[in-house]
Amino acid sequence: MIEIRDLSKWYGNFQVLDNINEEIKQGQTVVVCGPSGSGKSTLLRCINGLEPFQKGEIIVDGVSVSDRSTNLYKLRTEIGMVFQRFELYPHMTAMQNITLAPMKVRNKSKKEAEVKAMELLQRVGIPEKAHEYPANLSGGQQQRVAIARSLAMEPKIMMFDEPTSALDPEMIKEVLDVMIDLSKGGMTMIVVTHEMGFAREVADEIIFMDEGRIIERGTDISFFKNPKNPRTKNFLDKILL
Amino acid sequence: MRMFDAVAKNISFLLGGYWITIKLTMFALAGGISLGILVGLGRISKKKWVYYPVTFYVNLIRNIPLILVIFWFYFVMPIIVGRPLDPFPSAVISFIIFEATYFGEILRAGFQSVSKGQIDAGYSTGLNYIQTTRYILIPIAVRRMLPSMITQSIVTYQDTCLAFVIGLHEFVRRTTIVDNFEVRSIQLFGFVAILFLITCYISSVVSRRFEVKRERGY
Repeated sequence: MIEIRDLSKWYGNFQVLDNINEEIKQGQTVVVCGPSGSGKSTLLRCINGLEPFQKGEIIVDGVSVSDRSTNLYKLRTEIGMVFQRFELYPHMTAMQNITLAPMKVRNKSKKEAEVKAMELLQRVGIPEKAHEYPANLSGGQQQRVAIARSLAMEPKIMMFDEPTSALDPEMIKEVLDVMIDLSKGGMTMIVVTHEMGFAREVADEIIFMDEGRIIERGTDISFFKNPKNPRTKNFLDKILL
Repeated sequence: MRMFDAVAKNISFLLGGYWITIKLTMFALAGGISLGILVGLGRISKKKWVYYPVTFYVNLIRNIPLILVIFWFYFVMPIIVGRPLDPFPSAVISFIIFEATYFGEILRAGFQSVSKGQIDAGYSTGLNYIQTTRYILIPIAVRRMLPSMITQSIVTYQDTCLAFVIGLHEFVRRTTIVDNFEVRSIQLFGFVAILFLITCYISSVVSRRFEVKRERGY
């Protein structure tokens, strides 16, 4: 589904991504962790073409992201993205947030889009909040609306960029539950997170990044009990406690 | 009604002038805000060939008194188009050129206040530049900047008086004409002041209500 080959990216002289190689198959959930500034978010942003890169190649569902002839707008409809700070549109209700793209990009009728949005709100557990503005929702509710907004485009891939880092502890679970559900439902997912409980439950692969490189990878959490790289061990000690 | 006898006698002529003031204001605002949106977008553009010309235009016009913009446009345009312009369209265009720079700077601040993440969220669902700008960037920026935009609109409304320099028969100009034969300056210009005072005050009350709303977070 996603193939990343020899990906490198620089901001000026500063190298943010250094020779990344990764393959994600359909239905897999890959968890990416690592200290801040290690290039995790940048990697996600490269995959859906929000950031250009200088070297290497990313193939999403058979389409090269960096190819000039690729329609990035079309590609992005296939890749949902959920952000750390939710990024809901503050001037629109939850319902309007979800229906905007299906109506404007997929040319769905308002009615059709709203039926689908209601279904999705049901799925993330907050159908009663459909007509609330983001300011009247808790962080956890906002993030679930944001997930519903991405799902409304019926993407083949979902990317999550630290989706629970800005949440109060009691709200983390409600968001993770939705994500676990998605993963078990067969969605292809890339999740930047430090929630190791989530990783243990659904990750098919866990990647550890540092200074723009993947320095450790493994297929299950036990792998992280004996990391080869001291940098990984140090980091894991801190987040697992 | 001795107090307002000269006003009463010439009321239809005066209000006719007021109507021209209103029309000029409406055209100036519609055009100034529309062009202002483009100017604001140009001022946050990463494309140098957009950013530099727009910035030059903004800095040029904002540093010239409005009265000179009106004056120059009225006297220079005939040389370019080869025939004299009517005062009204000439005034409308001068005001649009001038006000667009002010609305543009207000909107630039508004655009910059919109989080990059919200724009990325739009792009990540497949919206293109125009859709993201139209449905996310502009609505959020305009809502946030509404109080400043209303204030600038009130200033525009008051400034329309300056169009008298090119002989436009707006409210103040007509009052001057009436005053020339009635010789009731205090009464006549008092009437002008009261009308402006009331209409501007109402607008500022409306503006303040929007500010209160904004504090509630939309």
